[in-house]
Amino acid sequence: MILGRRESLTGRVLLIILMVVTLVPFVSLFVTALHESGTYPTGISWPARPHWGNFVEAFRAADMGRLLASSLLIELGVVPVSLAIGTMAGFAFGQVRMRGYQFAYFAFVLGLTLPYEAILYPLYYQMRSLGLLNTRWAIILPLIALFMPFSIFWMRAHFVNVPRDIVEAARIDGANMWQSFWRVQVPLAMPAISSLAILLFLWTWNQFLLAIVLVDDPLKRTMAGALGAFQGHYGTDIPLLCAGSLLILTPTLVVYLIFHRRFSTALLQGAVKG
Amino acid sequence: MAKVIFEKATRIYPGTQTPAVSSLDLEIEDGEFMVLVGPSGSGKTTALRMLAGLEAVDEGRIFIGDRDVTDVQPKDRDIAMVFQNYALYPHMTVAENIGFHLKIKKRPKAEIRQRVLEAARLLDLEPYLDRKPARLSGGQRQRVAMGRAIVRQPQVFLMDEPLSNLDAKLRVATRTQIASLQRRLGVTTVYVTHDQVEAMTMGDRVAVLRDGILQQCDTPRVLFDRPINVFVAGFMGSPQMNLIETSVSDGGVQFAGRTIPLTPTQRAALTSEGVTLGVRPEGWDIVSPNEGVPAIVEIVEELGSDSYAYVTPEYDPNRTIIVRPNSAQATPHKGDHIGLVPRPSAIHLFDTATGVRLPD
Repeated sequence: MILGRRESLTGRVLLIILMVVTLVPFVSLFVTALHESGTYPTGISWPARPHWGNFVEAFRAADMGRLLASSLLIELGVVPVSLAIGTMAGFAFGQVRMRGYQFAYFAFVLGLTLPYEAILYPLYYQMRSLGLLNTRWAIILPLIALFMPFSIFWMRAHFVNVPRDIVEAARIDGANMWQSFWRVQVPLAMPAISSLAILLFLWTWNQFLLAIVLVDDPLKRTMAGALGAFQGHYGTDIPLLCAGSLLILTPTLVVYLIFHRRFSTALLQGAVKG
Repeated sequence: MAKVIFEKATRIYPGTQTPAVSSLDLEIEDGEFMVLVGPSGSGKTTALRMLAGLEAVDEGRIFIGDRDVTDVQPKDRDIAMVFQNYALYPHMTVAENIGFHLKIKKRPKAEIRQRVLEAARLLDLEPYLDRKPARLSGGQRQRVAMGRAIVRQPQVFLMDEPLSNLDAKLRVATRTQIASLQRRLGVTTVYVTHDQVEAMTMGDRVAVLRDGILQQCDTPRVLFDRPINVFVAGFMGSPQMNLIETSVSDGGVQFAGRTIPLTPTQRAALTSEGVTLGVRPEGWDIVSPNEGVPAIVEIVEELGSDSYAYVTPEYDPNRTIIVRPNSAQATPHKGDHIGLVPRPSAIHLFDTATGVRLPD
């Protein structure tokens, strides 16, 4: 595309503004985390003596090692199951199209519009009556259900666009439905499945509200959920809270940096196919 | 290897009134190369897909060998299909693509390797066995699709316009390859195309379809020499047959001041006064203007081995007649005044009202 001088200049200025707006909170977080524990830093100012030890302190104080393990357990509970069910359901809605599939699909899409905060109360009582309150299941099971509409929506968008010929070729080659799904469809769906995996990972990792409400023990929560407990204990200790937040952010940043190319294609994919 | 029989097979797509394939009766002999040809929307692909089991049969039956397969799933019909876009599995190598059916059928690994190798050798694909389809040329992909069909040693090959994505030169080369391969393997083959040249050159017999209805099924020679109606006459042959609507009076068919006599049987078969005169480009003799139908040459297409003259007869300036001068005649030039005489043996007569050929 050929751009005029003014256009490209405006574009650059806008991008820089957006970048600053995005980065400032992180910079602020980082700088504050380096101040002495127990102080109240104001604004963004580099401390006279950066307290790098704050990170170690926060890690130890919040028992970050066990939180990390807890978060990973929850991820392991949520992501593979969501992927498996979402992929199979997406295949069913996108290609098998059994009788009445439109209604079931409509119901799932309706689920996309549901603000999950609205079901928090009933969820609490349900979990209590199931005896799952204060266990990781209280986070894992609702998350699988809450992510399901999106997972299905996402995977269906992929399966709808698989060329019909390939499906038919597999049928003529003698594959039954399961063989055609497992040997042909799933390998072809890998880009969609892996981008869904990344999204689900991030959303589970960042899950805060469900963790806070349904699980009391911070050590059984997600990392982000643990932040709540953090605030209670160290409400006055802003630098430590900031250091803790940064530690919690790190894994998502790492995931993003490793997969960022795939991540942006995933977002674009949604934009075009949505 | 087997016979294929369509018995009053009909397909009506949901939500439509007119059948895509209407009461198709067709018997394909064991080992025969049958070409289904017709313009788009003629139902040729639908007929093929019905045979494949990809399309339901609403009425009638379909047999492969002695088995009624009307309600049998595609995977149990023992057929192999080559798709227009090849439909290769993009995530598998050439070898895996060709061997997919055998793998599904849980054949021993050694046997799969052996049979894939044989098929690849037959199609000159050996050097590419480890490549993915994305790294193959169009012609190679087409051959992989063929290999996937061959390796199965099926009862019937189904081919849905397998050459339409190749460039013109490759298409001609592949055409003969497929035809000779089929003859060597002796597998009953049903081949769909919209290209009448492919139909003429490849088929043992050719079935011409239009609007879901079978028009004529016969050898290419018969289709060309004795088309059963105006549609087949116009469809087979390139450039197409000149079809001129005329009328009958006492002596016979009146054409530009000349009379072509009708036999009593022809006269009896006529439903009205209208007769369509059909003469292929090569069926004209070029004479001097005062001997034949006077006409002016508008354009001459020189193809090297052949040349075609597009001429306008004086009696109707809006009409164009295509003429191929035979080798004994000099090629006319643009602007020449010539006379045209249809050779009596090259004249086809059709009833204009019904389009049906008059008896010879």
